[in-house]
Amino acid sequence: MMKKEKKRIGVFVCHCGVNIAGVVDVARVAEVLKEYPGVELSADYVYMCSEPGQQMVLDKIKEEKLDAVIVAACSPTLHEGTFQHAAELAGLNPHQVEIANIREQDAWVHPDRERATDKAIRIVRSMVEKAIQNEDLEPIKVGVTRKALVIGGGVAGLQSALDIAEQGYEVIVVEKEPSVGGKMIQLSETFPTLDCSQCILTPKMVEATRHPKIRLMTYSEVESISGFVGNFKVRIKKKPRFVDEDLCKLCNDCADVCPQVVPDEYNMGLSFRKAIYMPFPQAVPGTYTLDRDNCLGTLPIRCGKCKDVCDAKAIDYDMKEEIIEEEVGAVVVATGYDLYDMKALGEYGGEHYEDVVNGLEFERILSASGPTGGKVQRPSDGKEPQNVVFIQCAGSRDPEYHNSYCSKICCMYTAKHAMLYKHRVHNGNATVFYIDVRTGGKNFDEFYQRTIDEDGVLYLRGKVSKIFKEGDKLLVWGVDTLTGQKVEVEADMVVLAMAMTKADGAPALMKKLKVAVDANGWLGEAHPKLRPVESLNQGFFLAGCAHGPKDIPETVSQASAAAAKVGALFAKTELMHEPTIVPVVEELCSGCGICVSMCPYGARTLDQVQHVIEVNEVLCEGCGACAAACPAGAAQQRNQSDNQIFSMVNAILRG
Amino acid sequence: MRVHYYPGCTLKEKATNLEDSTQAAMARLNVELVEPKGWTCCGAEFPLITEKIHGLTPPVRILRQVQREGGDKVVTTCAFCFAVLKRANRAMLDNPEQHMRINAYLKEDIEIDALTKEKVTDFDAYDGDVSPLHLLEFIRDEIGYGTLKQHLKRDLSHLKVAAYYGCRLLRPKKEVAIDDPESPTIFEDFLRAIGCTVIDFPFKQECCGSYLSASMPESSNEPSYRILKSAKLNGANVLAMSCPLCYYNMETRQDRIREQYLTFGGFPVLYFTQLLAWALGADAEVIGLEKHAFDPRPVLGITQDAEVSV
Repeated sequence: MMKKEKKRIGVFVCHCGVNIAGVVDVARVAEVLKEYPGVELSADYVYMCSEPGQQMVLDKIKEEKLDAVIVAACSPTLHEGTFQHAAELAGLNPHQVEIANIREQDAWVHPDRERATDKAIRIVRSMVEKAIQNEDLEPIKVGVTRKALVIGGGVAGLQSALDIAEQGYEVIVVEKEPSVGGKMIQLSETFPTLDCSQCILTPKMVEATRHPKIRLMTYSEVESISGFVGNFKVRIKKKPRFVDEDLCKLCNDCADVCPQVVPDEYNMGLSFRKAIYMPFPQAVPGTYTLDRDNCLGTLPIRCGKCKDVCDAKAIDYDMKEEIIEEEVGAVVVATGYDLYDMKALGEYGGEHYEDVVNGLEFERILSASGPTGGKVQRPSDGKEPQNVVFIQCAGSRDPEYHNSYCSKICCMYTAKHAMLYKHRVHNGNATVFYIDVRTGGKNFDEFYQRTIDEDGVLYLRGKVSKIFKEGDKLLVWGVDTLTGQKVEVEADMVVLAMAMTKADGAPALMKKLKVAVDANGWLGEAHPKLRPVESLNQGFFLAGCAHGPKDIPETVSQASAAAAKVGALFAKTELMHEPTIVPVVEELCSGCGICVSMCPYGARTLDQVQHVIEVNEVLCEGCGACAAACPAGAAQQRNQSDNQIFSMVNAILRG
Repeated sequence: MRVHYYPGCTLKEKATNLEDSTQAAMARLNVELVEPKGWTCCGAEFPLITEKIHGLTPPVRILRQVQREGGDKVVTTCAFCFAVLKRANRAMLDNPEQHMRINAYLKEDIEIDALTKEKVTDFDAYDGDVSPLHLLEFIRDEIGYGTLKQHLKRDLSHLKVAAYYGCRLLRPKKEVAIDDPESPTIFEDFLRAIGCTVIDFPFKQECCGSYLSASMPESSNEPSYRILKSAKLNGANVLAMSCPLCYYNMETRQDRIREQYLTFGGFPVLYFTQLLAWALGADAEVIGLEKHAFDPRPVLGITQDAEVSV
């Protein structure tokens, strides 16, 4: 550690226009700090982050031979990097730069000039004390494995995989279902252009299969992942399909003889499939899959019919689950969403009434590849519904009992549903209950207006309180809040725009990946505005609805952005890791292991022989959880040691 | 088994068939019902409408009396009393200000001891430790459907019963609900346990018109009529309920409904406790079956069938 007396420190106080200077007397802060022990120079300037401001810092470091710099300005999340860079140009170690946040933590939250100025002085003082004890640190360097893992084979995952592969890097796509395609392959037509969802997605699916850099692993799941950015080890569980993809000729003989009939997931349970099946005609890979949970049994005495009829000898009952280990440098998490369960909305009867369906079920009913071939028929008796009621925000925007967030796409897809329904049943009546209609998007509002002006869809502003059956009609009770009247609508069919929620398997997977999720289970981004496709955990990138409700264009944009971020990572020969980690002072460490359980990154392990903690420097993110927990003071964060913190506290509290 | 029981005023006056059938049924299940000494009116709905401290004080005083007598729960059958006691108790648990103010009032109580004739003052604070239970909850959780079935004396399988919850057993959800307000099952489970055939119908949680029957009877006739009609349309031959006000609107005042809806011929309505006591073998006179505006005895098979039309 450098000797305190010798350090020459410069203080630069920023006005940030009136953001800081409007409340804090910046000139006085600079004046007072001039007298503070260790401070050689103290100045203020209107915009420290501007080019002249940075130049001033750079010049003064050189002229005054400064050993450390305090910039009293905005939050370090904004301009710490800017000033570290300026310091580096002046030949100063960037870890000798400290930001005193006198904007967010002072000027923006206090109205009283006198007291805010006093607080600013104390904040700057504390950073001077910290800087006095700061050491020069060098970044930790680590290599990069230039291969990416994409989890999820929906449109988000496929787009990311294709974009990464096109940059010349290898990609593994892991998809838990037998085919890639995700939710988008189930959609009928897409808003606002009404192009067929399958027609635009299947080319991407085919391209992904054929791409030499992409390896599709369907019917597979991520079992575990370890390591750190640039250097992950991943174990992938490949579930047995019992059908050899290369030998299968897609003749359907196996499915013809299979006696087991189960609800078809692709059609949302509105039709049936066999236990050996192909999910849908354009499935990728194009092969059959034997669903073991529904199979009668492969022993000849139980069944075994499919194997008997397979001329291609593609069926192999002895296939076993395989674990495949891979090394990758980056992970794109594109695990998608699921719909909120209709059971949760007991008052709408989705659980009991066949003709109350969710949005995805209605997509299948509208789809040319659906159970009715695109004819609008209601599930209970196959009749063409003359009156259809659409309910938006079913389970969304209800902080009291359901989800507080807006599911974002329902306004548009409900408009699309109502429009497509009217295109097919010209004399039918479509009624939409809504809270607001949110049509933020290119050509979205025009589309919505068309459903009203050209297709005659009736929009009622209000919530539905109850749906129940009377005879073969569904009665929908609601309120029209524009007239203040209670309304009762007779319907043949009701479509609930169920809230989007985190995918069913997401919580378990996110735990394995150790990536942060928000209160609703959506993936958390590193910064809500400036780093929207990165996870706080380095090396993990976000794409699509796993991160929150999104429409297709937005999903694709995010997927491409994630791929660009992966490309930028892979373009480096070695990665720099922040050196402000928490090493172990071995003489003080008793090997109690408390810090191991505190570490959210798995960076700390107990050496059972030496009985001390070992730290993986690359995994350590410098969060300080271990430092706070260590009873012996053996976990000391670099440039954030206990001594530094005590000095800072003293500097703040002193009169 | 011995348990505190709060009947409430209505059961002693207008709804004697609810009270008598509760007593008869519990006696047959070997449950001794103990009324807290000196109980008063719960305040009906009023403490909850005005949220005034002096309105909440009577129900809390009743709960405190149960605690003084060593009880930790109190059973009610009247849906209104149940909701009032439970919400008052919730206030004592969740609202520190109301807790403090109500206890400040209750501390001033003066009671003359019946034996010693001495003044009792300076009561302990009440902290919300007595659980108000609806009889349906008590039967499910304390008596148990298994025990209940062992005591059954009559076969009720010919009764197609629609369970009517009304509002007071279910709402507000966070303070009162004995079950999920959107798709409750506790009432149906009970009816099944006593051997009834249960009919599902969509109006089981709809409002009966409540106090509008006093101020604007023509407005309460419609909701009441729709409930009865829906029960009938869905195949029920009896409507079961737990609330004396619902009973007044849908049973006692069927004459008014008939004036407004000329095709309405009447429909049998029973308190759930009457069905329970009947299943346990109580006599028709004991449980007040003759007091109904629309005679339920034919449907129970006691007398000749009368024409039922809704």
